[in-house]
Amino acid sequence: MNTQQQTGQEMVVGQVEMTLREKGRSRMAGNTIAFLRNHAPFNKMQPDALQRFAEKAQIAFYPAGSEIIGPDAGNVRYFYLIESGKVQARQAGEVTVTEYSILSLGAGEGFPIGAVTAGRPSTNVYLAVEDSFCYQLPAEDFLALVASSPEFNLFCTQYIASLLDQSRRQLQLQFAQRASEQQTLNSPLAGIGSRSPITVAPDTPLRAALETMSEAGVGSLVVAGEDRKAVGVFTRTDLLDRVVLAELPLSTPVGEAMTPSPFMLEEHATAYDAMFAMATHGIRHVLVTDAEGRLTGVVSERDLFSLQRVGLRQIRQAIDGAHNVEALQQAAADVRQLAFNMLAQGVGSEQLTQFISALNDALTRRVIQLNLEKHAFDGIDWAWLAFGSEGRDEQTFSTDQDNGIVFQPPEGASIDALKQRFLAYALDVNKDLDRCGFPLCKGNIMASNPQWCLTLDEWKEQFGSWIRQPHPDALLNATIFFDFRPLFGKAELAEAMRRHLLALTASNPMFLRAMAKNALDVEPPLGKIRDFLTDLEPDHPGKIDLKKYGSRIFVDVARIYAMASGVHNTNSIQRLRLAAQRLNIRADEINAVLEGLNFIQLLRLQHQYLEGEPGKQGDNLIDPETLNELDRRILKESFRQARKIQTRLKLDYQVN
Amino acid sequence: MLGLKKFLFRGGAPSGLSEDVKASLDAWRSSHAPALEELHFHTRYLVVDIVSSGLDPEKDQLLAIAASSIWQGAIQPDDTFYIDFSTLDGEGAAVDRQLMAFLLFAAKAPMVTYHVPYVGGFLQRAYKERLGLDFQPQWVDMAWLMPSMFEDKGHTVMPLDQWLEIFGMGGGEGRRDAMANTLLLGRLFQMLLVRAVGKQIDTAARLVDESRASSFLRRTH
Repeated sequence: MNTQQQTGQEMVVGQVEMTLREKGRSRMAGNTIAFLRNHAPFNKMQPDALQRFAEKAQIAFYPAGSEIIGPDAGNVRYFYLIESGKVQARQAGEVTVTEYSILSLGAGEGFPIGAVTAGRPSTNVYLAVEDSFCYQLPAEDFLALVASSPEFNLFCTQYIASLLDQSRRQLQLQFAQRASEQQTLNSPLAGIGSRSPITVAPDTPLRAALETMSEAGVGSLVVAGEDRKAVGVFTRTDLLDRVVLAELPLSTPVGEAMTPSPFMLEEHATAYDAMFAMATHGIRHVLVTDAEGRLTGVVSERDLFSLQRVGLRQIRQAIDGAHNVEALQQAAADVRQLAFNMLAQGVGSEQLTQFISALNDALTRRVIQLNLEKHAFDGIDWAWLAFGSEGRDEQTFSTDQDNGIVFQPPEGASIDALKQRFLAYALDVNKDLDRCGFPLCKGNIMASNPQWCLTLDEWKEQFGSWIRQPHPDALLNATIFFDFRPLFGKAELAEAMRRHLLALTASNPMFLRAMAKNALDVEPPLGKIRDFLTDLEPDHPGKIDLKKYGSRIFVDVARIYAMASGVHNTNSIQRLRLAAQRLNIRADEINAVLEGLNFIQLLRLQHQYLEGEPGKQGDNLIDPETLNELDRRILKESFRQARKIQTRLKLDYQVN
Repeated sequence: MLGLKKFLFRGGAPSGLSEDVKASLDAWRSSHAPALEELHFHTRYLVVDIVSSGLDPEKDQLLAIAASSIWQGAIQPDDTFYIDFSTLDGEGAAVDRQLMAFLLFAAKAPMVTYHVPYVGGFLQRAYKERLGLDFQPQWVDMAWLMPSMFEDKGHTVMPLDQWLEIFGMGGGEGRRDAMANTLLLGRLFQMLLVRAVGKQIDTAARLVDESRASSFLRRTH
């Protein structure tokens, strides 16, 4: 408004005041714009957007040492842009206030973008470390600006997206701090263990080989040809078992006493891979080779031990050598500790859950074996089956038992009598597993339940009836039982079940459609107004069940696509990867989905470990308010991925 | 511009005031001044700067007034004010209205400036001559208060630019306009308030007293 045009008698004092206030405001805004123009992203913003910012931004002073905002200050009312000075962001929280999370901000940097966007308290403490001036834009004006300025919107979105990466790193650091471990299991093997392993040719006499070991002061040798390709290892254990006790003359070539076909990994494999191999195969050394298979190093369990507080092999040995449940109970506790250390070292949820599964498998197998001492099934083909999350290799720290038995009665044998023997046996196993920290299944999905201790034909018949008549109960059972995996015994029986199942689903498209409809019953808890819906569970207000409304969505979709595309795997991530290839789903699309699933799983693991009380089963209920800013944003994105893949399923199966 | 003095300082009684200005002035006179016993955070301070044709309030001309409020710990963009008298060529009634509008805007809040004799002198003369008003707000004089609050930085009264230099706010490109000056003053004032609270000067009343005392002490000793 121009004063000159308004100076007639019709302008009264009140109006003049408004006009002059307007002039003052626009001059102050001009001053602010001059500052904004020198800083990204404002220098790229349209003049009207800048004007809007400048006309609403207050200027406040924060002396050195004063807190600008923090978790206790209630919902964030302003977006702060530092005009001058220095501000430190520090992660608040009862668990860890550690040096790593301190971030220093200077002129032109803004905060707390996540909290002001979400309209909630800041999870960080922002402290002025120098005398600082900040522009502070009221939250409603900030949101209006995000909505109206594409440049500002992009800036805020990218900022939040870049947090995804940061969050993962912070999470790892956070745990690393607690475990006081610095090295990571993700380092490539090229940097671990011995780089110039002692090797001997296979025809070297034992005496010469032993002298070499003695001189070098090592406990093992690699046996390799002239091409440096390893054919075996010779260790002190071999010396005892195969030379001394076997009374082998010392002139015998070492090739006859060595352990042949050693386990090898390429240099770019990680320490984690080596550890996984040691746990899976019960070995002590992993040979490291280049791409052509030539030996370049040896990684021993001792090398990895420095990365680990609880030794992997000790646990394996303790499990394999256990003669009673008490010994296994200790091993189960060690598994938990080891898993935590791995979480600390930044092992992703995918590997971690597999890892827990691998050790839990070993534990379960030992329980199964120990009980076979009292129950003999010689001459009968049978297998112990794992269902549910165990069947999918997705166990977290607290997983119920879900198991069953499949058996093949010999010709003319009484099925009933045999079943009674298996049931009695299974009951013992179930009880022992419970004592080892695998709680009895509340739904009685256990091998000791006559319903789930079946002959191969009975299982086939059972699967067939669920698929032909997909009642709600049948669909529920399908989500548990179709994720089966043989843990012990004759794996061929399980494979026969799988082939039968895939053939059935391929010829019953209506069944998959019913499964799809079922899978779409639960939606991710994304609010239309709020970030998250936290009132879905009446018994737990303010919390989100990360299993029910999170990982299960992915798992259900993965199962359907796996069955539709004939994927034999039970692990959800493998299922989604393989099914995506077969169904021509773009790799980046499926990777984003897997990231989402992995993040939710990681949060579950974190929650179960950090918040689980000793001796009490951890749950999957998290309060999103207690998450830090980064994790909240990522969780939201993960739920969006869940919604995305549900939408795809909806389209593919024409479910409305 | 040549005729400006005539309109700004016409002398004599303000008998020619228009009705709306008279009414506003009466209303303003009977309005209550805000209590000064509140803490700084709850006090609305008005930071004021002027533009004049020279330094002598008796002879030179007032060309502009810039003001911005500080309350709840921030300079508030919604509560700023700017009069540019130079655009009011030949309009006496408009000058009256704008001066009156500034009074309404100020609402008897304590005023903060740098060198009260200069700023206050020009305002006093304008209000006397145009509205017949003896303009006596509660002044806070930064020129005197800065050395007593920031003894570690400078212990004498010095030009504003020197303080700005000390606090790293100087280095401006050429001349600043009155609003830019007001905003800089506003920022210095926020810093000063932190120091004042440290010296138990935690209300506007005490700050006004301190301002008077410091200028008196420094002038007479």
